[in-house]
Amino acid sequence: MIKYDAVVVGAGNAGLAAALEFAQSGKKTLLIEQHNLPGGCATSFCRGRFEFEPSLHELCGVGPEENPGTVRTIMDDFGVKVEWKKVDDCFRVISTFSDGTPMDVTMPSGADEFIDKMEFYVPGSRSKMVELFDFLDQIEEFVNFTAEPDYDKKELMAKYADVLHVGAYSTSKVLDALGMPAKAKDILSVYWSYLGVDMDRLSFFHYANMVHMYVKSGAYIPTHTSHEISNTMIERFRELGGEVWYNCRAEEFLFEGKKCVGVRTAYGEIKADYVLANINQDIIYGKMIPKTVPIPERELKLSAARNRDFGARMFTVYLGLNKTAEELGIKDYSIFLEETMDSVKDYENLKKIDTNNYSIFLCYNVANPGISPEGTAMCSFTTMFTAADDWNNIPQEDYVKVKNKLAKKIIDNFEEKTGIVLTPYIEEISVATPWTFARYLNVPEGSVYGYITNDWDSILARILTGEKDYPFKGLKHIGTSGERGDGYSSAYYSGKFTAIAAVKEMNGGNN
Amino acid sequence: MADNFKISKVGIVDIAKFLLLANTRENIIKKTPAKLIDATFAINENAKALHPAYQEVVVSEVIDHKGAGAKSFILSVKNGKASYFRAGQYLSVFLNVNGSVVSRPYSISSSPAWTKENKYAITVRKTADGFVSDWLLDNIKVGDELVVSAAEGTFYYEELRDAKNVIALAGGSGITPFLSMAYAIRDGIEDFNLTIISGSRTKDAILFKDELDKIAEECDKVKVVHVLSEDKTKGFEHGFITEKIIKKYAPKKEAYSIFMCGPAAMYKFEEGEIEKLGLERKFVRRELLGVTKDIRNHEDYPKSCKKKNFKITVKKGPRTFEINANADEPILVAIERAGISAPARCRSGECGWCRSKLVSGTVFIPKENDDGRRWSDKQNGYIHPCATFATSDLVIEVPNSYVK
Repeated sequence: MIKYDAVVVGAGNAGLAAALEFAQSGKKTLLIEQHNLPGGCATSFCRGRFEFEPSLHELCGVGPEENPGTVRTIMDDFGVKVEWKKVDDCFRVISTFSDGTPMDVTMPSGADEFIDKMEFYVPGSRSKMVELFDFLDQIEEFVNFTAEPDYDKKELMAKYADVLHVGAYSTSKVLDALGMPAKAKDILSVYWSYLGVDMDRLSFFHYANMVHMYVKSGAYIPTHTSHEISNTMIERFRELGGEVWYNCRAEEFLFEGKKCVGVRTAYGEIKADYVLANINQDIIYGKMIPKTVPIPERELKLSAARNRDFGARMFTVYLGLNKTAEELGIKDYSIFLEETMDSVKDYENLKKIDTNNYSIFLCYNVANPGISPEGTAMCSFTTMFTAADDWNNIPQEDYVKVKNKLAKKIIDNFEEKTGIVLTPYIEEISVATPWTFARYLNVPEGSVYGYITNDWDSILARILTGEKDYPFKGLKHIGTSGERGDGYSSAYYSGKFTAIAAVKEMNGGNN
Repeated sequence: MADNFKISKVGIVDIAKFLLLANTRENIIKKTPAKLIDATFAINENAKALHPAYQEVVVSEVIDHKGAGAKSFILSVKNGKASYFRAGQYLSVFLNVNGSVVSRPYSISSSPAWTKENKYAITVRKTADGFVSDWLLDNIKVGDELVVSAAEGTFYYEELRDAKNVIALAGGSGITPFLSMAYAIRDGIEDFNLTIISGSRTKDAILFKDELDKIAEECDKVKVVHVLSEDKTKGFEHGFITEKIIKKYAPKKEAYSIFMCGPAAMYKFEEGEIEKLGLERKFVRRELLGVTKDIRNHEDYPKSCKKKNFKITVKKGPRTFEINANADEPILVAIERAGISAPARCRSGECGWCRSKLVSGTVFIPKENDDGRRWSDKQNGYIHPCATFATSDLVIEVPNSYVK
């Protein structure tokens, strides 16, 4: 019989962090992964002379060495060394303000710089922006406060009354209550797509946390694509005695009574004291629990309440260009091209291929000149789908036509709006659709964001729910469908801290 | 409440609302009727159908191209759900040949339209050292069952990248992906102008001459030029496919892409010819070639590597195997000969399916087969065993293979 202290299923970001945490705590750990690479989304692929970044735009929570953010701290704790590059500007956005005037705005990182630039675009916004950023600071403190185990609830209520006051409201509501000028609100709403929920349903808490990290500590990218992060984590895990089996899918969890005791794979049964699954819960409870083990009614109700409302189903066009960014006239790392700054309307438009006119352009070389060979540039366009429908019924023989048509629409729109010409210089192109993400990650509907983090199912609500979302002993889900939601930093956090709790349970003999 | 809340004032109701977030969530869950979880998603099923881990096929017809020393095998997919492909892609055929668990990639020679009838055609030609090809030619007959991959590879026309005019340079059995492209254009699946310049030794050795001539007759977007290296025959070009011949048939004023598929000797020759054309790199695309033969004579091969046989410890999941490898064979071949199934597709170092961890030992990787490895893999000892040679005893970890 094969037996480990801990088995982690899925070597995505959360799985990697969980595996490292177990191994670092001295647990004999096995990490199994269905693909032949680690990282899930955090990987890379080669075409011709280019190695492409498949998913990461920028990573918040790294922060500078002297003032490390969550991700840098987690990596440092693990002894994982990644070569980071800083992204200077926050974003450029080309769109239309809600008053109908054209919008072409470039925002820098750093709170003061961000506020100054906002004042430049929206005179009179300064005092409200200062108020907002003070508030973001408070929220960060609040988050740190609650991250400590056994914090004092009374002290929390006294100290963070303002934060608690808005905790239950949407981003739109709070910005309105603050009296944020409409144009500034437009600019501030650019980041909604990174969370996949429109501003009317996006919890202010969640939004504030992200914006704070992006703007204040700046964004970073790995020098050699996300595969560098994932592979370095794997190497460290191996150093700590961990084992990794690739192309090894978990078929079913093993149970003794109501306790999970391992997992069945192509290599047979593997026993473990604890299993952490970097898998969506609909898949876990829908097909990976043995028939003899009843699924608790609450999980069936939770799944029904979520009703397959998943976050972004991704669509990305990867371009290897045979000219440099400079030759092409590209100055910005990221350009958001949006039809409207009304995120509710955008969310509606993003349900259909025909009405989707949203894209985020990236030129990696602007932040990381060496990412592609000399004389070339590497760019991508990303859009997303807020509904699955249009991707459900495409016949195989039309698939390439459908994806290339959308890719062309996105590139044409960019060329028209920016005056930058890319098409004649495309040396390599690859187009990933929700089918592609479903193929490689096996996530429902190719959504990399898990369940949408809207009002009742917001991150805060999930965190406050606590242990109820884990019905079985010895088995916990981690990753994007978990309490911390989507994004690299959330996933690392989810994996690490769920593993810490599991280790505590294992050592405490609670089983 | 929400309507009159002000950010600067602390409302007891709002704090209560915050503290009740969990209860609100719980109430919504409670109130929703329980439903069995259906973990099937249309998008995921689509992806699986387009990229199945493997396909079980029956050989429904064998066509003998006698003069060309080749056979086409018509494969019918048993479950009736042949996955679609892009003209130019290949299938890997998985075989058990005398105890070796092997795979070989073969370009699909049929039209993508055939998948509607659950059929593919692959064409195999006799070669000097074609262990698997010869076995297929000698042994496979109608009614035999085989296991093949889904379509793989990136050697296809891409409208957003390639010129509208494609000059295809084919050597010998390298014609197969272009035949599929020609069919695809004729069938209205692809839309570009394809001029195939096909090199053969003699007129009789031309593979698919009748088929190509017929397509060219039916469809004015497809043109075919035959170049014979040994025969001087009227109506055929003579010699090798030179810069002069390419220029003669390439558009004079419009841009064109060159696609090339053929044996190593041809690539070597054509590289010099193509260089003279002064095309941008993006307009020259080559199908993968396999691994450089006769590795001991490779200019970079470590001369000190005198030992002819190495011991390789192969770890695959919980299992460990001790095998022997010859210094002049790719590590993958040694693994397969030992009867261990390992994932592999392109067998050229490119696709990365066989990506494995080199735990200890030293290896040689020919530079022409090393474009497909990721930066971090190069730093951390991950190799593609299909295009890597042992230069000492090794310990490696290989992934599981999903093939049946």
